[in-house]
Amino acid sequence: METLFGITGKDFVITAYDSKAVASITLMKIGENKSRELNPHTLMLFSGEPGDGVHFSEYIERNIKLYGIRNGIELSPRAVASFARRELADSLRSRKPYSVNLLIAGFDVKTNKPSLYWLDHLASLADVPFAAHGYGAYYCLSLLDRYHREDITEEEGIKLLQKCVGELRTRMILNMPDFVAKIVNKDGIRLVQL
Amino acid sequence: MDTLVSKYANSASSASFDDADNLGQNMAGWDAASQFALPAFDIPMVANPVDFLRAHTDASAENRIRIQHGTTTLAFKFQGGIIVAVDSRASGGSYIGTVSLSISFTTSQTVKKVIEINPYLLGTMAGGAADCQYWERELGRRCRLYELRNKERISVAAASKILSNMVYDYKGMGLSMGTMITGWDKSGPQLFYVDSDGTRMRGERFSVGSGSTFAYGVLDTGYDFNLSIPDALELGRRAIYHATHRDAYSGGSVNVFHVKETGWVFHGNFDVNDLHWEYQAQPKGPIV
Amino acid sequence: MAGSYDRALTVFSPDGHLFQVDYALEAVRKGSCAVGVRGADVVVLGVEKKSVLKLQDERTVKKICMLDEHVCLAFAGLSADARVLINKARIECQSHRLTVEDSVSIEYITRYIAGVQQSGGVRPFGISTLIMGFDSDKVPKLYQTDPSGVYSAWKANSIGRSSKTVREFLEKNYKEDMDKAESIKLAIRSLLEVVQTGAKNIEIAIMGSDSVIQRLELAEIEAVVAEIEAENEKEKEKSKSSNSQQ
Repeated sequence: METLFGITGKDFVITAYDSKAVASITLMKIGENKSRELNPHTLMLFSGEPGDGVHFSEYIERNIKLYGIRNGIELSPRAVASFARRELADSLRSRKPYSVNLLIAGFDVKTNKPSLYWLDHLASLADVPFAAHGYGAYYCLSLLDRYHREDITEEEGIKLLQKCVGELRTRMILNMPDFVAKIVNKDGIRLVQL
Repeated sequence: MDTLVSKYANSASSASFDDADNLGQNMAGWDAASQFALPAFDIPMVANPVDFLRAHTDASAENRIRIQHGTTTLAFKFQGGIIVAVDSRASGGSYIGTVSLSISFTTSQTVKKVIEINPYLLGTMAGGAADCQYWERELGRRCRLYELRNKERISVAAASKILSNMVYDYKGMGLSMGTMITGWDKSGPQLFYVDSDGTRMRGERFSVGSGSTFAYGVLDTGYDFNLSIPDALELGRRAIYHATHRDAYSGGSVNVFHVKETGWVFHGNFDVNDLHWEYQAQPKGPIV
Repeated sequence: MAGSYDRALTVFSPDGHLFQVDYALEAVRKGSCAVGVRGADVVVLGVEKKSVLKLQDERTVKKICMLDEHVCLAFAGLSADARVLINKARIECQSHRLTVEDSVSIEYITRYIAGVQQSGGVRPFGISTLIMGFDSDKVPKLYQTDPSGVYSAWKANSIGRSSKTVREFLEKNYKEDMDKAESIKLAIRSLLEVVQTGAKNIEIAIMGSDSVIQRLELAEIEAVVAEIEAENEKEKEKSKSSNSQQ
């Protein structure tokens, strides 16, 4: 029942994940971090098989950080997404594949453009203006199709995300208590209140 | 460690992307910092460990091994540190062991479900008793080595991460473990939930096991961060008692621990039968 | 002279030397000088920079490198060996974070580097290193390693060419609890003992308790050098005048 969102705007990407950690029928925790900062301008959100998300994203995170410290320059969001896709694709063909869905939100400081990449557990990669994973996608992709423009501002982005979360709260059988939203822009990554 | 070096070197550069087995094998390599990756644990000498386990543990199998399952464990943070409380019933198969009536397979009412990893670290046990005991003892060994090498105690975060990485290597092979790792380190009291799926999370309040839902009911309603130490101990004991009352697979007695800055303290073993009559005799008091 | 005792690292000479290690130490002694100074809540690394050739790109020659966000290393000796060692150390830093969540302690990574230098069967790395950084306790740390695999902690130390002169200078001038400016000044002054060409051949990196690295620009180093020279002048004047009075 995990849900991830990502929406690009004029000069930013806004992302959100539900912060619930569930074990069978029990809600173990609210406030679980389902994202990792891969470098100052790239954020990865994950959902899927318990355990896999954290292990895979931290593995990618450490490799990206290693690249940064070795070369003194950060990988672009596009490069990060390609790297993650390749690692996931290789794992898919191994004895024990990771089963994770990912969103990679980044701001390319060279071209000054925000970007959002959608990756599923079969390692297909797509560069998209907005995206969602999980059950939330069934409700909100149409909503995003209806309202999203390429040039939305941060305020509009937050409002759009609020619409998505609102829709889930009205229609999903399980209540979605706490979404955590993060914005990636030229200044880096920051938390926002929904 | 060398395998990890090459692994890292490969993945961060574009050198050998065609190495298809890369990531699958790498899981063992995760236990990386050479210091923590002493022995390599082997997979049993059978074609498929998952099938092997299923064949020997299924209810229909002959000579089956009965894995101990039922449990209620809980741990919560409060102003005075952390309270850990557990029941003590080990049940294999569909029978429940009793002290007086020992049936042909081993069941017990006096299982230690809190594993004392070292004077500052406690681990609880839910799921397969053998899995928990084995991996938490292995964790204890590694923690001690860490301490000797680094001249300081391991943080609870690090200890729980090591455990999580170890069992994650065996994901999908039939391990069954749901544990809470608690302790007090430089950053204060710490509580982590780790299970055999590879999940690991920091938290304030957890309950694990077949009786966990019942324990949560009492624990959540009676919880307050500012509880006094005696009240907190009583809440833990009471939540486990109520869980043993409703969950057939939990029972025996309640063991209560308190994690303090100076290490953990054992606060006694209480027979749930005695507790039952004790609580029965008490008035239930007003609902607040 | 050395007989055949210098063919392999694994063979002792009759008088208990490992000649390969001795030779590696010699390579370090030929390397450009590096100093490290620990202040109250700051650590400073300084190195003597070789003058780059006219057509060479200066940026490709670096003697102070980050190992992780909070660890910094300077070396003296063979640059090529250093590159390999630094690469291994960087991997270990990230790997450590991956396995135990926490970042490496400065002692841990020093011990790791010393351990790599020790690893058997191959020739020793021809470098000594100075490693600085902060652990979670916010206390500045400064360590040194050498080709034999020995490591030790210091208040201030130097490695490389004329390191003995510089160390003696540091021993004479080190004060407890220096602030940032004093620490930088001491590092530069000690380097000036062996660097004749002044500011343009000095590289300085500073780390405060926030673990953020700061590299000094040429102009900033020049300012400190000028300050030091002025002080030296004054000192000279003083001794001159006191001499003439006598």
